[in-house]
Amino acid sequence: QKLCRKTVEFMHRQLIMLYMVAACRAVAINDLLDRASERSDILHSLSTTLSHDLDSQFPPIGRVIMPRPSMCHTASLQTPIDKYQALQVSESDLLSLARSLLQAWEDPLAVLSTSANTLPHPAQSSISNKIQELQEHSKNLGDGLDILSGKMGPAAQTIASLPYRGGNDIGEDRISKLINFNFLLSCFRRDSHKIDSFLKILRCRAAKMQPEMC
Amino acid sequence: MKKAVELVLLLLLLFFTPHIMGKRYSPPGKPTLTRCRSPEKETFTCWWEPGSDGGLPTTHALYYRKESSERVYECPDYHTAGENSCFFNKNDTSIWVNYNITVVATNTLGSAFSDPVDVDVVYIVKPNPPEKQTVTIMEDKGWPFLRVSWEPPQKADTRSGWITLIYELRVKLEEENEWEMHLAGHQKTFNIFSLRSGGKYLVEVRCKPDHGFWSEWSSTSYIKVPDYFHREKSVWILLTIFSAFIFLILTWLLHMNSRSLKNCILPPVPGPKIKGFDNQLLKNGKSDEIFSALMVSNFPPTTSSNYEDLLVEYLEVYVPVEQELMQEESKDLHGGCLKCERSTSDSDSGRGSCDSHTLLMDKCGETKEEGRHTDRASSRMLTEAQRHQKGWEKDTLTYAHGDMVSPDMSNGRVKTWPSVFSPLPQYSSNPLDKQSSLEMAKQHCLSTSSCLTQPGHSTKEALGPSNWDFCLGNKQPHLLHPQTQVGRQLQAHSEVNISNIGRKQAPAGLQSPALRSTEYVEVQRVNEEDLVLLQPVVSGCGRIEGYPQMPKGKDYSKVKGVDSDNMLLLQREVMEEDWWTGNCYTSSTVNTTQKPTACIHTAMPVQGDMALAMNGYVDTATMCTLPTC
Repeated sequence: QKLCRKTVEFMHRQLIMLYMVAACRAVAINDLLDRASERSDILHSLSTTLSHDLDSQFPPIGRVIMPRPSMCHTASLQTPIDKYQALQVSESDLLSLARSLLQAWEDPLAVLSTSANTLPHPAQSSISNKIQELQEHSKNLGDGLDILSGKMGPAAQTIASLPYRGGNDIGEDRISKLINFNFLLSCFRRDSHKIDSFLKILRCRAAKMQPEMC
Repeated sequence: MKKAVELVLLLLLLFFTPHIMGKRYSPPGKPTLTRCRSPEKETFTCWWEPGSDGGLPTTHALYYRKESSERVYECPDYHTAGENSCFFNKNDTSIWVNYNITVVATNTLGSAFSDPVDVDVVYIVKPNPPEKQTVTIMEDKGWPFLRVSWEPPQKADTRSGWITLIYELRVKLEEENEWEMHLAGHQKTFNIFSLRSGGKYLVEVRCKPDHGFWSEWSSTSYIKVPDYFHREKSVWILLTIFSAFIFLILTWLLHMNSRSLKNCILPPVPGPKIKGFDNQLLKNGKSDEIFSALMVSNFPPTTSSNYEDLLVEYLEVYVPVEQELMQEESKDLHGGCLKCERSTSDSDSGRGSCDSHTLLMDKCGETKEEGRHTDRASSRMLTEAQRHQKGWEKDTLTYAHGDMVSPDMSNGRVKTWPSVFSPLPQYSSNPLDKQSSLEMAKQHCLSTSSCLTQPGHSTKEALGPSNWDFCLGNKQPHLLHPQTQVGRQLQAHSEVNISNIGRKQAPAGLQSPALRSTEYVEVQRVNEEDLVLLQPVVSGCGRIEGYPQMPKGKDYSKVKGVDSDNMLLLQREVMEEDWWTGNCYTSSTVNTTQKPTACIHTAMPVQGDMALAMNGYVDTATMCTLPTC
C-alpha cells in the first residue's frame, strides 16, 4: 500500500492522476484519512518540539514584543473557534480548510529553512534539521490530501489562497531575526494543530462503522 | 493652651495607634497564575496564587483579553473551580485563540497585577482519568492472564474525534514497589500475562490527548490471581524423578563395567619385555651375563645339533603319489650322504643344498680341490662336515629348505618352510635328529632335483629365511669340473621362496618329514676315488638346458640298509639289470679331505632283510654320521 501511494503521488505530479488511481487498487478513504491524520500529528509534534527548543534560549522579553498571532498570514482564513462550530463544518470544507492551510505554509517553510541556516541560536543545527523534516512531512501530507480531495467531491477541491508576504528575509539584526523566526513558528504550530484536528474529525466521521478508530 | 495640648495628644494618638495595634498594612502582593487547564478542549480553568495580602482583605480579579480584540473581560466564574480559580465555560472558551490573562489582587491600600499569561486552550488540555475500569482474570490454554478494560473520561468527546486519547496502564504486585508500565495506544482493553500464581495485583490506567498532558491515574483496581502452579510444578517433579532414575541406572552400569571401561579408556601400557632379559642382571652390571642371557643358545646355530634338527624338520615334504616310486629309488643313491647335499646347500636361502646331484658329486670329488671356495654352494658342499661348526647355519638352512619341498612345484620352485631357519630350541643336539634332518635335506634335494629350474642360477649366500632359495641344482657350472660333469647336472635350483613357504606352511617347525622328497639320481659312473657320480633323473622335469634327458626305464633300487662296512644294501626292485649303487653321497661330498672311499661304492643289490628304517629307506642321516664316512 505504501508503494502504491508513492506511485500514485508521483503520477499525480505528472498530471496523470486519474490513470494512476485507476491503475492502483483503490485505497479506502478510511485508510487514507488515517494515514493523513497520522502525518499531520507528526507535523504538529515536530513544530511543538521546535518551539520549545527555540523558547528555551529565547529571552522572555522577546515574547512581550512579539507580534500577535492575529498577524499570522493565515489569520484571514475563517476557521471554527469552538467545538460546536467545528463539528458543524462539512467534510469537504474541513478538507478544504486543511489543504488551504497546508498550502499556505509551503513558502514560509522554505523561508524558515533558509533562515535556520544562519539563525543566531545555540541549537541552530537541530532547528535547521527539524525545519527540513517539517518541509518533508508537509509535502507528503499535501500529496495525500490531494488524493483525498479527489475522492471527496468538488467542494473539497477549493483551496483558499493565503499568500505569504513576509519576504525572504526575516530580519536584519539578531533580535529581530529571532523574534520573527519565533513568530512564524508559532503561527505554523497553530495551523498544524488545526489541520490535525480537522483531519481527525474527518477520520472519525468516515469511520462510522469502526467506532474504535475514534 | 488647651488646643495645643489636644493637638499634641491627637498627634500622639495617631502615632501610637498603629504601634499599639502591631500591624502594617500594605497593598497586596503580586499574585501569580499558576496554571490553566482544559479537560476536554471546551472549557478551561485557571488557578492563581495570591501574594501577600498586606494585612488587609484583598480581592482578586482575573481579567482576560482575547487576541483579536482589545476588550477586557473579567472572569465569569470564580467559584466553580474552587478558590483562587477562574472557570471559563463553553461559551467563554474559544480555541485557537490566545487568551491574555491577568490576575489582579486588590486591597484597601492598593492592588497588584500579576504577569500576563498567554493561553491557547488547545495546548492546555489535560483530560480526566479513564473511568469504569475493570480487571478480570481470564484463561488461555490453562494459563491465566489479566484483562483490564476501561472507558474514556466522560467529558472528553472522543466519539466525534474532537479529542483523541491514548491510554497507559500500570501493574504491580501488592508487595512490590515498582510499577510495570504498559502503553495501550487507542485501545480500551489490555491483557497482562506472566502472572505469578496466587499473587495480588494492582492496576491503574491513565490517558492523554494527542497533543496534551497526561491525566491523573485512575483509581486502583485490585485483583488476586488463583493458584495454578500445581500443574506447572507437577511436570517438574516428574522430570526430576525421571532424570534421577536415569542417573541411577547409568551409575549402576558404569559401576558394573568399570573394569572394562578402564581397560578401554586407559589400556594398560605393556612393559617392555625382552626374552632372556633380566633386570637384575642389568643392575648387577655384568655385561657378559646380560648379553649371554639375551643370546639364545641356538641362534645362530653353531652346533651340529641345530643343524640336524633343522634338517629333520625339513624332511617333511609332501610328494605327489606318482613320484613316489621314483623317489624311492633315488633314495638309495643318496642314502647317508646328506652331508654332501648339505654342503651344496646355499648359505643363503637354503638353495643349493641339494642343487644338483651331479654337482654334489662333483663337489665330493672336488673336496680336495676347492677348499678355497667361498660359502657358495660348492664350497659348502665340499666342506660340509668341516664347516660343521661354522657355516652350518647356512647350510642348515639350505638343507632345511631343501627338505621343504612343497607340493607346489608349479613353477619348478621348491618352497621351503621358513621355520627351518629359526634356530629354535627345538633343535636338539640329538645326533639322530641331525641325521634325520640331513636325510630330510637330502630327500628334499633329491626330489627337487627332479624339478630343475633355472639353470645357471647361482647359489645365494643369504641365509635369512627371507631369502631361501632352494638350490636343488647348483647352477654353477663353473663349479663343476669337466670330469665331474655328468650327463646332467643338478642345475636346477629349486629356488625356494621362503615367502612362499612361509605362506604355505607356517613355521611348521621342524617336524620330521612325513614325506620324503625323493629324487632319483642315476649313478653315472664311479670314479677312481670311489665316488659314485650320480646323475639326476630328469624324470618329469626335463627342463634343464642342454642336458639330455635321462633315459628312463633305469632301474632304481631301494636301499635296504647299510651294513657294517658302510655299504649300502640295496633292495632290488622290480626292475632291472641296472642297479645303482647307492653311494654315500654325502660322504663323498662332505669329506673333502677324507677319502671318500670310505663310502660305499659298490653297493650290491641286496635282497632281503637288512636293518632298515621304517619304510625301507635308509636313513641317510644316520649313515652319514658314521665315522667312517
